[in-house]
Amino acid sequence: MSAGVSAPELVKLRIDGVEVEVPRGTGLVETAAVAGLEIPVFCYEPRLGPPIGACRMCLVEVEGIPKLQAGCTLTAQPDMVVRTAAASAKAAEGQDATLEFILVNHPLDCPVCDKGGECPLQDLTFRWGPGQTRMTFPKRTFDKPIPISPTIALDRERCILCYRCTRFSENVAEDGQLVAANRGAMSLITTFEDEPYCAPFSGNVIELCPVGALTSTQYRFQGRPWEIQNVPSICGLCPVGCNISATTREGKVRRILSRNHPEVDQGWLCDKGRFTYPHLYATDRIHEPLERVRRRGLGELSWNDALDRAEDLLRGAGGRVVTALSGSETLEQAYGLGKLLRQGLGAHSAVLPEATSDALDAFRAPLSAIARAEHVVVIGDERVADRAPIVDLWIRQARRNGARVDNVFEPRLDEELERRVRDSDRVILVWSGRAGGGGARLAELAHRLGLEGKDGSAAFHLPATPNGRGVAAAWAASADGEEKNPEPINLLIVSGDEAAADPAVRALAEQAEKVLAITMFQGLAVGWADLVLPGTSYLERDGTFVNLEGRIQRLRRTVIPPAPDELAWIARLAERFAVGLSPHSSVVFAELSGLLYGEELSYDDLGERAPLPPRSAFEPPQPAPTAPIPPLTTPPEEHFLGNLRLQRFRPLFSGPAVERVPELQFQRPPAEVELASEDAERRRIATGDTVSVRSNGSALALRASVRKDIPPGVARVAQEHAGDLGAAVEVARMSNPSSPEGRGTA
Amino acid sequence: MSSLHEEIQGVRAQYPDPASATLPALRLAQERYGWLSPEVFREVAEALEETPAFCMSVASFYDMFHLKPVGRHLVEVCTNVSCALRGAQQVLEAFEEELNVKAGETSEDGFATVRTVECLGGCGWATIVALDHRYRMNVQPGDVSAIVEELQANG
Amino acid sequence: MADLKPIVLGGADERDLTKLAEYEAIGGYTTLAKARRALPQAIVEELLTSGLRGRGGAFFATGRKWSFIPKPDQNPNPHYLVVNADESEPGSFKDHEILARVPHRFIEGCLITAHAVEARHIFVYVRGEYLGPFEVLRDALEEIRERTDILGDATIIVHRGAGAYICGEETALLESLEGKRGQPRSKPPFPAISGLYASPTVVNNVETLATVPPILQMGGEKYAQLGVENSTGTRVVSLSGNLERGGNYEVAHGITLRELIYDVGGGIPGGRQLKAVIPGGSSTVILAADEIDVSYDYDSLAQVGTAMGSAGVIAIDDRCCMVQLGIRVSEFYEHESCGKCTPCREGTRWMTQMLRKLEAGEATETELDLLLDVCDRINGKCLCPLGETAAMAVASYVDKFRAEFIAHLEGGCPFGSDSPLDAVLAPVAQHTHSPVAVVPA
Repeated sequence: MSAGVSAPELVKLRIDGVEVEVPRGTGLVETAAVAGLEIPVFCYEPRLGPPIGACRMCLVEVEGIPKLQAGCTLTAQPDMVVRTAAASAKAAEGQDATLEFILVNHPLDCPVCDKGGECPLQDLTFRWGPGQTRMTFPKRTFDKPIPISPTIALDRERCILCYRCTRFSENVAEDGQLVAANRGAMSLITTFEDEPYCAPFSGNVIELCPVGALTSTQYRFQGRPWEIQNVPSICGLCPVGCNISATTREGKVRRILSRNHPEVDQGWLCDKGRFTYPHLYATDRIHEPLERVRRRGLGELSWNDALDRAEDLLRGAGGRVVTALSGSETLEQAYGLGKLLRQGLGAHSAVLPEATSDALDAFRAPLSAIARAEHVVVIGDERVADRAPIVDLWIRQARRNGARVDNVFEPRLDEELERRVRDSDRVILVWSGRAGGGGARLAELAHRLGLEGKDGSAAFHLPATPNGRGVAAAWAASADGEEKNPEPINLLIVSGDEAAADPAVRALAEQAEKVLAITMFQGLAVGWADLVLPGTSYLERDGTFVNLEGRIQRLRRTVIPPAPDELAWIARLAERFAVGLSPHSSVVFAELSGLLYGEELSYDDLGERAPLPPRSAFEPPQPAPTAPIPPLTTPPEEHFLGNLRLQRFRPLFSGPAVERVPELQFQRPPAEVELASEDAERRRIATGDTVSVRSNGSALALRASVRKDIPPGVARVAQEHAGDLGAAVEVARMSNPSSPEGRGTA
Repeated sequence: MSSLHEEIQGVRAQYPDPASATLPALRLAQERYGWLSPEVFREVAEALEETPAFCMSVASFYDMFHLKPVGRHLVEVCTNVSCALRGAQQVLEAFEEELNVKAGETSEDGFATVRTVECLGGCGWATIVALDHRYRMNVQPGDVSAIVEELQANG
Repeated sequence: MADLKPIVLGGADERDLTKLAEYEAIGGYTTLAKARRALPQAIVEELLTSGLRGRGGAFFATGRKWSFIPKPDQNPNPHYLVVNADESEPGSFKDHEILARVPHRFIEGCLITAHAVEARHIFVYVRGEYLGPFEVLRDALEEIRERTDILGDATIIVHRGAGAYICGEETALLESLEGKRGQPRSKPPFPAISGLYASPTVVNNVETLATVPPILQMGGEKYAQLGVENSTGTRVVSLSGNLERGGNYEVAHGITLRELIYDVGGGIPGGRQLKAVIPGGSSTVILAADEIDVSYDYDSLAQVGTAMGSAGVIAIDDRCCMVQLGIRVSEFYEHESCGKCTPCREGTRWMTQMLRKLEAGEATETELDLLLDVCDRINGKCLCPLGETAAMAVASYVDKFRAEFIAHLEGGCPFGSDSPLDAVLAPVAQHTHSPVAVVPA
C-alpha cells in the first residue's frame, strides 16, 4: 500500500439487477451484501488469506463468461453484470449441485450435532439446496469423534473439506499442526501422529468450521442455540481485551465466542480467553466470607459479620494499610477501593505488579495498524504470545504482508537497526518485557526516532496485567494524598487472585500483622489471610477495563456470581467511613471518567465496539530514569563456562484461573529450560536431553529445549518450574544425547 | 557420506525459494530409509524448518511416497485403459501368484510389494510394469515368472 | 505419412541424439545461438507466425502465451520458465519418448524460450515415475554443464514429481513445485502474471518446447504451411490399445483418425473389430467406430464434440464392455482427484459407485439417468478441468453406447470376463495410503 492517502476509485456494477457502487476491488461477496443480496459461501474467509474458490458454493453467473464463476474469487469491476442464484437458474442449479455433493457423504447427525441451529450447512441447504437425497450408497465413515486435543473434537464424517481450519493453522496462527492428509475423496483433516493440536490459538478453528466437524469438548451437548443467551463482554485475562460473547444457559457460562472487534482482535481469541471460563465453577471456589479462627482454621461468616470484621481491621490498622492490587480489577472496583481506603482512612499506599505510564498515548493506534506496517520492531525478552497473544497474530500478519520484523532483546537499537527504522515508513514498535516503565522507556525511544510524525506508525507496550494502567489511574484519581510506605504494615489488603498468587505479595503478607484477602479460590490466600472475602471473575462484573491501546472497553456481568460484586460491598463499607460511593458501576464510571477525562462518560458512549481515543501530545515521562537500564544478557567478559542468567517467565497458560481448567492442562508449559544454540552446543546439549540446572544449592532436572530465538547467556524457565533457583544458574547435561546426529534446534 | 540433513540443505540451496525442496527432500529420505515413518518425517521436518505435520501432509498427497513399510522390491503394474486392454489384469495376477502376495500388500518375507498403479506413460508398449521404478515394456503374463526370477537373483 | 520428415523427433532414428556431440553434428544449438542475437520480441513474433499451439492438451497459441509476460516496468519480479513434463494422461506417452530420444533438442527449446520470455530460471517438472527419461535428461544437462556458450546465464533445475496426475494442471504443478500439495489455484491471477513464487511464469509442455528450435530453423511461415488451418505443423501422436503397432508417431495435423488407426497403427489385431476410439487421452469424449473419418485437428474434432487433448489415441475393440470402461476411467479420476473442490471430490466417487452398480446389473434406468445428471452437475462447476473431463468422458460412453448400458439394466454385463476390462483392479480400490476412511464399494 502506498504511503499517501487517496480516495479509492468507485465502480458501478449490477447484481441481480440491483445497481451498486463500491470501491474498485471490493470482494464480490461483500459487494452483494451492500446490495442486500447473499452469495453463500463456505470456504471464503478473508482473514485466512486470498480466496481459494474450493467449495464452489458461491457459483454465480457473470455476463460475458459462459462458465459459472466462483463469486468469492471475483472483485468489483466497472460495468460488471452478475446474477446470483436468486436471479439465475444456472447459478441456482450450480449451488444446488454443490450442496448435493457436500451432503452425499455428510452424516445425518443434526439431532446429535452441537452445530445444529447455528450451522451454515443447514441454513444454506434450506435456502439453496436440495430437499431430498438421491444418494443410495453407504456413506464413507470414520471413527468419530476424535479428540484432536482435550479442548477440540474432530468429526471427520461431518467435515466438508473447506480447508478453513488448515488455512488458519498454516496462514494465520502459523503453527502448522492441523493439516490435510491424503488426496481426493480420501482426504481428511488431522494432526501429526495423533499428537494433540497444542497451540495457543487452536480454538479458533471451532468458530471457523462451518459444520459440526470441529467442536468444543467443553461445550459438547451443553445447549441448543435457542436455549442460550450470548452476552457481549470483554475478556479480562490479558491486556488486549478481546471482544467476546459469553454463551450462557440456566445461569452458567457455557462457552466463550469471539465478538470481533476489527481493530483489536479481528475475530480471533486465544485458547486461554476461550477455554478458561470453567474457573468460575472450580471446586475450590469461595462462596461465603471466611475468617481465621484461632486453632480452628477458617470459618464461614455472614456478610454482615464479615463487613463488621473488615471495618474492625480497617479501623484498627491506624492508617498503616497497604493494598496489593492485581491489575485485573475493573476501573470502578479500583476507584471504589481507592475511595474507601484513601478518602476513608488516608491509606494511600498501593502496590501493583508493574509500573504504568501515560507516555505512549502520543503514539497510540489501533492494533490493526500493525498489519499494515512496513517495519515492526519487537523489543524485550518475553514472548509476545505469552503477554498479549493476539498481538502475535497481528505481527505475523504484518510479516505475511511484507513487513520486516526485527526482534531485539536489549532495550536499545543498534546503529544499523536504528537507521533502518528511520528510513522506513509505517513503523511499529512493541515492548514485550521487563523494565519498560509501563511504556515510558518505549515512549522515549519512539519520540527519539520521530515516530509521531510518521504516518501509520505507533508504539505498543505490552503490560503484564490486564488492566494495570486503568487500575493505577483509578486509584490515583480516587483521592489526593501522598503515598507513604507504612512501616511496619498493620493491614495488607490483597485484591484479586493474581495478587494472592504472587510470591512478592506473599512476602509482604509475612511482614503484615493482618491480611484481608479478596479472592475467588481457596487454594490461594486462605492459608495466610485473616479475613477472606469472596471475589468475582471478569465474567461476573459490570465495569470497564483499559487495554494496552488505551481503549476503554465495557465488561458486562454475563452470569450472577455466587457472591456479591466487589463494588456492592465496597460501597457498603465506604458508607461506614462516610465515603460516598455508588454500588452501581455505571454511576461510578461516570464519576471516574469525569476525573480522568474531564467529562462524564456513560457506558453507551463506549458502545458495543469501543472506539480508540485520539492521541495526545508527547510529554516526556516523569520521572526520567536515573539508573542505567540493566543489560538483559551477560556481557561476554563476565561470561564463563557454566554460568547463565536465569530468566523466569510467565507463560500464557499460567495463573490461578487456568490452573483450574482440566482441559487446558496440556497447554501448560512442560518442565523445560530454554537455551540458545550457542550455549547448548558448548555443553553438548540437544533438545530433549535431561539437564541439571543449579544455583545456590538448589538443583532441578529439566528437559532442554534449544531455541534460535533467545540470546546466548540466558536460560529461560517458566516461573512455575523454576523453584528456588537464583539469578545465575549452571546448566549441564545429565543423560546421553537423545539424537545421534546431535542437532536439536527447535 | 553426508547426512540426510546436509543433503537436504544442499537441495534447498538450489532453489530460489527453499520451500520448493519438500518433494526432493522426502524422496531423499525415502531412498535412505525405504519408507517415511513418523521418525523420518520428524527428521525431514527439522531439515526443512517445517513441521512434521506439514511434511506428512505433503507426502500423503503423492502416490510415490510410502507411509507404510514396503518390500525390498517394488513391483508396479499399470492397469489403466491401454494396458488393461492388453491384459494387464492377468499380468498383475501372475505377479500376485509368483510372489505369493495380494496387490497392495507386501510379501510376508518382505521381498516385494506388488501394487497396481495408474497410467505410467508407456501405453503403446503395454503392459508396462515398473520394477523398482525401471520400466519393463510389453509384459505378458507368460513373462512374469522369468521377471520374478531375475528379481530374486538380484536379491 | 511415410514422406513426412519428422520435426520434433527429426534425426533421432539415424543418430543417438541423446549425445551432445551427435546433436551438434546435425546443427544442434546453432538455432539457440542465432536466437540469442535476436530480440525476444522477434522470437515471439516468429512463434505467432508459426501458429504453434500448446501440445500439452490446452492447445493455446504458444506465441500468444509468451506475450502475456509483463514488461519489467509493469512487474519487477523475475520471470520463470516452467516445463510441464508431468505427462500422466492415460493414452499419452509422447513426452516420454521426446525426453528419452531428443533431450538436447528439448533443452535447446527451453533455452530459446527462456530468452524469448526473459527468464533466467528454467524448471523442468518431470513426473516422478519417469526415471528413465529423467536420467537421460540429467545426463544431457551434465554434458552441457560447462558449456556457457549454450547455457548462458540460465539455470535449469530438474524437479521430479512424486505421483499425482493433477500436477499436470499448470497451477497445481506450480503449487507442487513450491513444495506443497499439488492442488490447483483459482485463475485469475494467471501464471503469466503471478505463477511460480508469485512471479510472471510461462508454463509450456515438453513437445511444445522441443518444437521451438525446428520452427526457428525453418521459419514460422514454413511451419505454418504444414498441417491445417488453426492446427499447424506436426505433432507426435501416441497410439495404444487394441492396435498392432502401438507407439509414438510424428504426423502432420490433417491426417484422419482412420489413417492413424489402420495405416500408422496397423489396425486391430486378432481379427477383431474396432468398437470405439478415445481420441485424445482419457479426458476426451469417446468416438464410436463409425466416427473415425475425421481429420485429426482441433476444429474438426471440436465439430464432432471431442478434442485432440494430449494426442493419445486409444483403440478399443469389440470385446470391451463400455460400462467397465466407464468404471475404470471413473476410478482413475476418483483416485487422481486432488480433493479441493466439492463436485470433483464427491462426484467422481459417486460416479464410480453408480457405474459399479450398473455393471453388476443391479441398477434401474432411473439410476442410469441419475448418473447422467450427476455428470451434468459436475460439468461446468469445478475448479479445474479434471472433474469436468471425467464427467464428460463417462457421459459420452453412455451417450454413444446407451444400448449397452440399457442391456446391463436387464441382465447384467453381456461381456463378462471376455472383456479385458472385467474386474480390473484399480489403485483406488487398493487404498495404499493411510486407510482411515472406510469407503464401501
